[in-house]
Amino acid sequence: MPNRLRPIGSYAAPVSAGVSVGVVANPASGRDIRRLVAGASVFGNADKAGMVYRLLGGLGAAGVERVLMMPASDGLSATLHRQLYAHARRPPAGAVAPLPVLEQLVMELDGSALDSLEAVARMREAGVAAIVVLGGDGTHRVVAKACGDVPLCALSTGTNNAFPEMRETTVAGLATGLVACGRVPAAGALRREGALVVERDGAAPDLALVDVAVTAERFVGARAIWSGAGVSELVVTFAHPSAVGLSAVAGLIAPLARGAGRGVHVRFAADPREAEHTLAVALAPGLVTEVAVASHRVLDTGDIVELPPAAGSLALDGEREIERRPDEAVTVRLAPGPLTIDVDAVMREAARRGATRMQPRRV
Amino acid sequence: MSTVAPPGTGQLTPEQLVEAYRVMRTIREFEERLHREFATGDIPGFVHLYAGEEAIAAGVIAHLGSDDYVASTHRGHGHAIAKGCDVKGMMAEIYGKITGLCKGKGGSMHIADFDKGMLGANGIVGGGPPLVCGVGLTAKVKGTDQVAVSFTGDGGSNQGTFLESLNLAGAWHLPVIFVVENNGYAESTSSNFHQSGIDVAKRADGFGMPGIIVDGFDFFAVHEAAGEAIERARSGGGPSLIECKVNRYFGHFEGDQQTYRGPNEVEDLRRTRDCLDAFARRVTDAGVLEREALAEIDASVKTLIDDAVREAKAAPDPTAADVLTDVYVKY
Repeated sequence: MPNRLRPIGSYAAPVSAGVSVGVVANPASGRDIRRLVAGASVFGNADKAGMVYRLLGGLGAAGVERVLMMPASDGLSATLHRQLYAHARRPPAGAVAPLPVLEQLVMELDGSALDSLEAVARMREAGVAAIVVLGGDGTHRVVAKACGDVPLCALSTGTNNAFPEMRETTVAGLATGLVACGRVPAAGALRREGALVVERDGAAPDLALVDVAVTAERFVGARAIWSGAGVSELVVTFAHPSAVGLSAVAGLIAPLARGAGRGVHVRFAADPREAEHTLAVALAPGLVTEVAVASHRVLDTGDIVELPPAAGSLALDGEREIERRPDEAVTVRLAPGPLTIDVDAVMREAARRGATRMQPRRV
Repeated sequence: MSTVAPPGTGQLTPEQLVEAYRVMRTIREFEERLHREFATGDIPGFVHLYAGEEAIAAGVIAHLGSDDYVASTHRGHGHAIAKGCDVKGMMAEIYGKITGLCKGKGGSMHIADFDKGMLGANGIVGGGPPLVCGVGLTAKVKGTDQVAVSFTGDGGSNQGTFLESLNLAGAWHLPVIFVVENNGYAESTSSNFHQSGIDVAKRADGFGMPGIIVDGFDFFAVHEAAGEAIERARSGGGPSLIECKVNRYFGHFEGDQQTYRGPNEVEDLRRTRDCLDAFARRVTDAGVLEREALAEIDASVKTLIDDAVREAKAAPDPTAADVLTDVYVKY
């Protein structure tokens, strides 16, 4: 049951049955150990609140009337609230449309990834046409577990991500709104991403959107993988040479576009003399490291990579997530993943169709 | 890629894990026992209990030697135990006895042991950060590889002393680490009400030092992050800030009615966020330690605390003649 946050744009507007969009902004992203061990950017919750505020401008202009948002503690909601309050008192001159009504889901916050799962499930129940996600690879991974075929607009809140894009959210909001309101058709605007399904005995399957890495690290610890040390195998859903992180290793030996339905499996060389390739790779912001690759192969959707039992942990999308029992075998299967909104493609199509043209003004 | 040993937690030896568990269990048992003993009225002064936050003290201080420094808070028992202070001497101190670490004249909020690098618990909120700047400057000037760690709460992070210390440590490039134990409450005020910008880690940005957030209930997360920050400081890389998100099992002080907390908040915390339970499960699942070994630690710690309380109660009080000893330092 959504609860109306202080309504904004038009205070008196009733909650509309019009097009609605969900927003998941992870208050916990952007502060991990990579700020300490590498030069990762810092991204605070006030910045994220600003991103949501600007996003609303784009969504409203495209015709979205209602936005459902996951409540966020740790200052994000409070900062956003202050911005919306100021906006309501003094809206920016020249805006083509009011902001959508913003409603905050009423839910108990756990402070963990469960919050995002719950919020996405409720947004789907409420019939949102799209979900905008602000966070890192980890946040998107969690949302992808629950979003089904509701398209995601994947926005990065830092410089260390492969799956979401670093974008000005006003335009991302415009593109999402154009798709959500049917002003740009979904065909050509949406991309079917790949996913990696991680399965092991006695545990629910898990999901990664970018990569699964096998590491000798016994414990999850501070989560992030910022060094190649101890990593023995890697499976990726796409491979961009321009990415930052482990997926760039695959990108530099076997580049693979997003949404192509293929993946890459890489084995690292324990001894550089046995390496097929030795590469310099940007594994974290400010950190280019030497990586020795023993072998690689390209995967098709449905292919399974078997990981033999070993002590250590599995990192999903750059974060150690699963502590393995030493006798535990694991399989990783390349599968179809979530739908995402290709902002560039949407805006190109919008330009072609004149979807954002205003009616001529009469003098 | 695997030619280099993996960093961080993967390399913790079974001996180090046993020690970490022993430290956390000792803190928990010490605090749970004090909670019961305080209710009898035998303990003078106030006590502020650290139960629930053990993973932070254990995870950070595991990286420190006895010549490294720690400046603590009013909630200081955990830091003192992790830093190697004598548990019986601590208990006697809290009981105000002459056998206490400070001869019974300090009590809970002034437990100190300079020989162990423990600069003291501190009754002044935000009092620790300036102290570590002082010892950090000493280490820098003398050219030693010592580091200093201050612990501060979310309430303390609003104090001018905290922010001034971040500035000084940054400007002087001191070998110090500011650990913020954000347990969500400044006394009885939720951080949602007392803080502008809830993430304390963000404040580090303004002083040009890295600020990160870790789960303060997770020993491995704290240990890994602290290890990197301390190594950075030791090798001349300068200060950093680690914010540990955590909560406490008891009130601000013993006797606090805690009317500001949600229904079942503490029960839920104890059930779902127990650093000792999680630690035990993970090390045994990983096949590194046996349950029996942990149970032996539990038993020996219980005996230690029983003895500490019994001996503290039986020990003599300081006399009037002790009042003016150790007050002035001769140079």
